[in-house]
Amino acid sequence: MSSMTKQAQQRVGVLQGTLDMLILLTLLYGPAHGHQIGKHIQRTTNEFLQMQHGSLYPALHRLEERGWVSAKWETAPDRNREFKYYRLTDKGKKQLLVEESQWKQMAEAVARVMWPAGEES
Amino acid sequence: MRSWQIGKRDADLERELNSDLELEEEEQRERGLLPEEARRAALRAFGNPTLIREQSHLAWGWGWLEDFLKDVAYGVRSLLRSPALTAVALLSLALGIGANTAIFSFLDAVLLRNLPVQEPSQLVLLGTGSWSGISDSWAATELYSYPFYRALQKNNLVFSQAASIFSMMLNVHGTVNGRDKTEPMNVQAVSGTYFPMLGVSALIGRTLTDDDDRTEGNHPVAVISYAWWTRSLARDPNVLSRKLKLGSTSFDIIGVAPQEFFGTQVGQAPDIWVPMSMISQVPPGWHSYSGQRDESLYVIGRLKPGVSLAQATANINLLFQQVWLSYRDEHVTQKDLADLQKTHVPLTSIANGLNALRDQFSQPLKILMALTGVVLLIACANIANLLLARSTARAREFAVRQALGAKRSRLVRQLLTESLVLAAAGGIFGIILAIFADHMLLHMVSTGTDTLPLDVSIHMRLLLFTLTVTVSTALLFGTLPALRATKLELTDALKDGRSSAGTGTKTPLANSLIITQVAFSLVLLAGAGLFVRSLMNLNNVDTGFNRENVLILNPDPSSIGYKDDEPRLNALYRQMEQRVAAVHGVTAASVASFTFHEGSWNGTVTIPGIDPAISSDVKHNVIGNDYFKAMQIPLLAGRTFEPQDTAASQKVAIISERFAKLYFPKSNPIGRTYHIGGPNSPWEMQIIGIAKDVKFQSLDENTTTLDYLAYSQRHQYIDDLVVRYNGDQTAVSTAVQRAIHSIDPNLPITHVYSLDEQVSGSIVQQRIVAQLSAFFGLLAVFLSCIGIYCLMSYMVSLRTNEIGIRMALGAPRSSVSWLVMRKILLLVGSGVAIGVPVTLVCSRLVSNMLFGIRATDAATVTGSVLGLLVVGLLAGWLPARRASRVNPMVALRYE
Repeated sequence: MSSMTKQAQQRVGVLQGTLDMLILLTLLYGPAHGHQIGKHIQRTTNEFLQMQHGSLYPALHRLEERGWVSAKWETAPDRNREFKYYRLTDKGKKQLLVEESQWKQMAEAVARVMWPAGEES
Repeated sequence: MRSWQIGKRDADLERELNSDLELEEEEQRERGLLPEEARRAALRAFGNPTLIREQSHLAWGWGWLEDFLKDVAYGVRSLLRSPALTAVALLSLALGIGANTAIFSFLDAVLLRNLPVQEPSQLVLLGTGSWSGISDSWAATELYSYPFYRALQKNNLVFSQAASIFSMMLNVHGTVNGRDKTEPMNVQAVSGTYFPMLGVSALIGRTLTDDDDRTEGNHPVAVISYAWWTRSLARDPNVLSRKLKLGSTSFDIIGVAPQEFFGTQVGQAPDIWVPMSMISQVPPGWHSYSGQRDESLYVIGRLKPGVSLAQATANINLLFQQVWLSYRDEHVTQKDLADLQKTHVPLTSIANGLNALRDQFSQPLKILMALTGVVLLIACANIANLLLARSTARAREFAVRQALGAKRSRLVRQLLTESLVLAAAGGIFGIILAIFADHMLLHMVSTGTDTLPLDVSIHMRLLLFTLTVTVSTALLFGTLPALRATKLELTDALKDGRSSAGTGTKTPLANSLIITQVAFSLVLLAGAGLFVRSLMNLNNVDTGFNRENVLILNPDPSSIGYKDDEPRLNALYRQMEQRVAAVHGVTAASVASFTFHEGSWNGTVTIPGIDPAISSDVKHNVIGNDYFKAMQIPLLAGRTFEPQDTAASQKVAIISERFAKLYFPKSNPIGRTYHIGGPNSPWEMQIIGIAKDVKFQSLDENTTTLDYLAYSQRHQYIDDLVVRYNGDQTAVSTAVQRAIHSIDPNLPITHVYSLDEQVSGSIVQQRIVAQLSAFFGLLAVFLSCIGIYCLMSYMVSLRTNEIGIRMALGAPRSSVSWLVMRKILLLVGSGVAIGVPVTLVCSRLVSNMLFGIRATDAATVTGSVLGLLVVGLLAGWLPARRASRVNPMVALRYE
């Protein structure tokens, strides 16, 4: 059991924190289904993150499992079909703040290492 | 998580993926791609759907379950791939677990299970409960009189409540009011405090109370058992308005006992409980309510909270002395008083019931439990060996899987699952087997026609026990091969799955398993040998009478109104003897109180010039004139009873050889007199004959001191009608019963059985131990043989290459066979070397259960060793032959 989770974490690894944060951020603008989320992330990162849509779903389900997003089947306004729409929960909003600040801290830390103060001034 | 939830969420995921995939596809199409290309592009953008699904499952936290189910499925598939091995493993397990479960359920029913009453651990019995019957001896500690029980109840300081139980079940032919036929009923007389003390309240109506038991003869009330209510009254809801006629008294049914309450004696289930105050009105009409010296009751008490067994014992013994001193009369001697001072009453816990079965079966059951435990161990070793061989053969498979990235922990878990599947299947088969085995066992233990009322059905505790056995078995044999199988050098195993390099570590473990099996098998086999030979010795004991061609019938005149001291009782017996003797095929017929293994009436005799201390334990048998003829017991001197011996003439007795030697060592006893009881008793007997010694209660008893009295000079119920016959037993039995019913068609005959059945019934315990230990011994040997066979086959297949080379270089076939046989000899030899001392130690533990054979009997041990060697070599012969038939060319080309 424990080895199993470890394995899983390794596999999703580096991307995980980032992906979770990106999904939460996307949902901040309103509910969206998986395909929209994927497209949005790709668009906003200027196609920089070459990710397969598929890897989105396990992440979505993980977020749902943790209670950061909620999901519901709803008819899309533009197409006459049902999609599974994800919404940010209050808990998710808090988590987004946490992740944001963590990301910021890490980015700053990396930045300090990469471009020490002297170089900048 | 429930599996249906998995299905639901899986479907949801599927739908989500599909809807999004379609959307992607549409978008691709809108961009102008052809439908085919659009689909492919969409899939490309999505990635591997299976992977997505798996990763989503992980996100849900179901990975382990999915893995487990996969492992189970894989395990089942891979077990089915080698059906022979699986069958052998399942059989071993099922037999091992089944036997354990069966024996344990018996052990539980007889030894462990608590009585279904309140706080059973507070209940104690005065004495040990090893007697039943009526005694008039001075200060007996096993049975007590009703006045004693009352005195104890009033004066003790340690029991919150006390109760008493008549020590004999009253087998009555009673009538349910409104029916015209009598039916057999087991009636138990108990004190009014019995139910309240146990804390058992009635399912319907009420139970007996002390008020039902205060004055003699005027409380004709009865509580019936749930089983009897079901069986005889078809659960009549108006049961409280019904009546029973026992003897000439009509009893009101006042209540039905709860279903789980079977009384307080394991292996006896009363149908009806009546108050002690009514005992003289229930046939055969024992007068045990008032006599101070009518010692016929078990006395049980409930310890007050906080009172220890030691405190209780001290108080009860003090009371015992006081009560008995108050029973002093002119017959009590100084010696009696001195004896009383030395008498100690032990208190026995009866949390799990007053238990005659326990005395009889506790040691056999413990032994059988040990045997089956060993069998299970052997089965486990066997399976460990089988799986070991298998997993070694699968070394390549594991190597490939590890090379493909499977983790060791994952492989180990998969192998463990496989073992669990095997153990679970074995456990299920085992339980099924146990159910059958229990019925068979119950049948084996029950002597006579009635099945012993013993609840040996599978219940929770038993199920838990089996489960524990199963799971620990799985772990035991799952761990070793699993750890071993995965501990391999990848490259070696990949390079050559068949060479001996990868198996170097395998053999010592497998070898030691085989050696252990052989050692255990030897212990079981030798034990079985000892028990079987004991049984044979018992069967060959000279009983002193001829057990063949004798029928015993139990007519029950007490149920149709005959009273104990009426002269017409004797007239009835005489008439029965005459009518039956006239039946075609009958050569002799006589009534008798006892034949063999039917209890005893024993007491003191007073012989002039003999120290009363050594004449205290003489057994009496009340018989008819033709008893010796019917039993074919030789008369050594004097005469037997004749018509002129009547109630009016001089009282006469025939004594046994042992009686004569013990009390008349130097003189001819014929014509001498002695008293039954004290010197002033009215029973002054003149000795008229000496009969050859007989076995009286059991085949392994020492010679009994016995005298025979004429029923014509007494008036009392006599249980047996002994009939010697020629020809067909069934025909004679029918004719004899017809002859009895020609006197009175209503005279019930309780049982009809043969003397031979009676004798073999007395050694049922030894027979069961012998039969089952033989079965388990053979089973153990069989399992070991399979183990040897598998190991050797495996070894041969592993060394085919080497054998091929040897033969190519000119080794003769015989030397190749020898290669295999030598190994077997070595293994069996080592097993024997360990097994023999263990056997000698173990057999000493059971020496008190052996008869006519010493625990260290050399012939038995030697025989077992030889037997094991022979079957071991036989088991190895097939693989050895296969080795010698190896075609060198084929073997070499194979690599």
